[in-house]
Amino acid sequence: MTAVATLVVVLVLFLTPYLWIFLTSFKTRLDALADVPVWTFSPTFEHYPKIFIDKGYLSLVWNSLNVAIFSTLLSLSIGVPAAYVFARYDFAGKEDLFFFFLTTRMAPPISIVVPMFLLFSLIGLTDMPIAVILAHTTFNLSLVVWMMRGFFADIPREIDEAAMLDGHTRGGTFLIILLPLASPGLAATAVLCFILSWNEFLYAFILVAFESRTLTVGIPGLVTPHGTLWGQVAAVAVVATLPILLFTFLVQKHLVRGLTFGAIKG
Amino acid sequence: MPVKRMIGVVLDHGIAPLLLIPSIILLFIILVGPFFYMFWTSFTDLHYALPGREGSFVGFENFRRLMQQDQIFWHSFLLTLKFVFWVVTIEFILGFALASLLYHYIKQQRFILTLLLVPMMLAPITVGLIWKLLLQGDFGMVTYYMRMIGIIDLRTAIMSNASLVMPAIMMIDVWQWTPFVTLVMLAGLLSLPKEPFEAALMDGAVRWQIFKDVTLPLMRPIIALVILLRGIDAFKEFDKVFILTGGGPGIATEMLSIYTFRINFKDWDLGYGAVCAFMVYLVVLIMCSIFYKAIYWHEGRAKPAKVKIS
Repeated sequence: MTAVATLVVVLVLFLTPYLWIFLTSFKTRLDALADVPVWTFSPTFEHYPKIFIDKGYLSLVWNSLNVAIFSTLLSLSIGVPAAYVFARYDFAGKEDLFFFFLTTRMAPPISIVVPMFLLFSLIGLTDMPIAVILAHTTFNLSLVVWMMRGFFADIPREIDEAAMLDGHTRGGTFLIILLPLASPGLAATAVLCFILSWNEFLYAFILVAFESRTLTVGIPGLVTPHGTLWGQVAAVAVVATLPILLFTFLVQKHLVRGLTFGAIKG
Repeated sequence: MPVKRMIGVVLDHGIAPLLLIPSIILLFIILVGPFFYMFWTSFTDLHYALPGREGSFVGFENFRRLMQQDQIFWHSFLLTLKFVFWVVTIEFILGFALASLLYHYIKQQRFILTLLLVPMMLAPITVGLIWKLLLQGDFGMVTYYMRMIGIIDLRTAIMSNASLVMPAIMMIDVWQWTPFVTLVMLAGLLSLPKEPFEAALMDGAVRWQIFKDVTLPLMRPIIALVILLRGIDAFKEFDKVFILTGGGPGIATEMLSIYTFRINFKDWDLGYGAVCAFMVYLVVLIMCSIFYKAIYWHEGRAKPAKVKIS
């Protein structure tokens, strides 16, 4: 009984802040700025059209989608074959190379973004979405390699051998047999890549110009020392987060593995 | 499909490692290249805001300045280490406790976890935003209830109070990342073998003894992993602080990432900024290699035998 009570308190503490921003996005200015917190109110739906249509934040959603989707596709198309090789072949320096992939995943963005910004501006790549897409592969590519290696390793080698006895080539075995078997893992990896890219702020903030900024980059500018329109800010926060939360439920089973670099299987 | 055929050809002729080449090339372009460029810049006087600082070689001048003249850097460094220490400690204790609670007493673990995951899946920049709203001095919801139960008085605005702002930021990080520790620790607990626990029960061990002598030793590699992962992540903290305080008031919350950001993108002192960036990288790299060892320690229990195909 005390266990359940504790848990309820914990859940309230962890969920109320998010509930609050959700509520704020439907509050009138008066309710949002009230001295005493307002929990029940008659909702207004004016903030969403105002910020996304009138102020054009819809294009930021589009930019975020664009970056997240292409960064995911790029990381998958390059990373999945690499992960397969790591799972099924042995070669000199394999584990060292694998460690190199890990360091890229862990690399502090602030350290990489400075020289990246200078190099990209040398070749005229800043201010274009491709700059952010490339930057996001710094963490997504290694996420793919690390996660997918684990998923391929989970498939017994006997399946490879049986497929090859059936007359499949090694390439055919990978593409026709193993890839479908690993597809739940592949889907989870893709969703995680998408989330990481969608949520990322610093690379996008430094590397991209005004017209192609992503939703996260559009957030700090909304908060001003005085007269912040909290209703609209909250609406942006809800749109930036709610789809991600729904996505999370889809991949929850593989979340532990994804967030611990495959070290712990959930 | 040409890509498909290419992959097939590479795999069939025993030259499979070639499939690694695209990823290695990409990482060289976006990571190794910038890394060495940063290394080079740190030996120059490159400055975008001062005339005549075109990036000529100055040897170890920037490193000397970092070591001898820059007290703010070391303030930031220490601040970041304190931040890492406190948030990781608190998150670990709370997260582990919560995981044990779920493990022992709750049947609908999955459903509860789903709800708990909300804070950690939010973009860090929106987490900062949410708490900026909650902690507003005049109408913040959390501020209001803290005043009501008397933790702070009427005049205190947390975000502009130099002694309260750091604990507040730590609390926000704890709010966001404790669920992560819970998630991983629960997965760890669920993956433990049952026999040692049954044996301990047969021997008449009480709960505390079982925790100390069975659970903890079995969980040790996972604990190491979770602490290192959180440590590395906390060390890199940028987004939340950036939107909450931007490093202020004064330099009270200017952690390493924020400081490095300021030197590079506000002062445009890029040569010196490269040294700061390099230092951040170095610390993360060291933590990262420890993490790698921890992974093999963890896998040591059930590391798959290496079998060579082809």
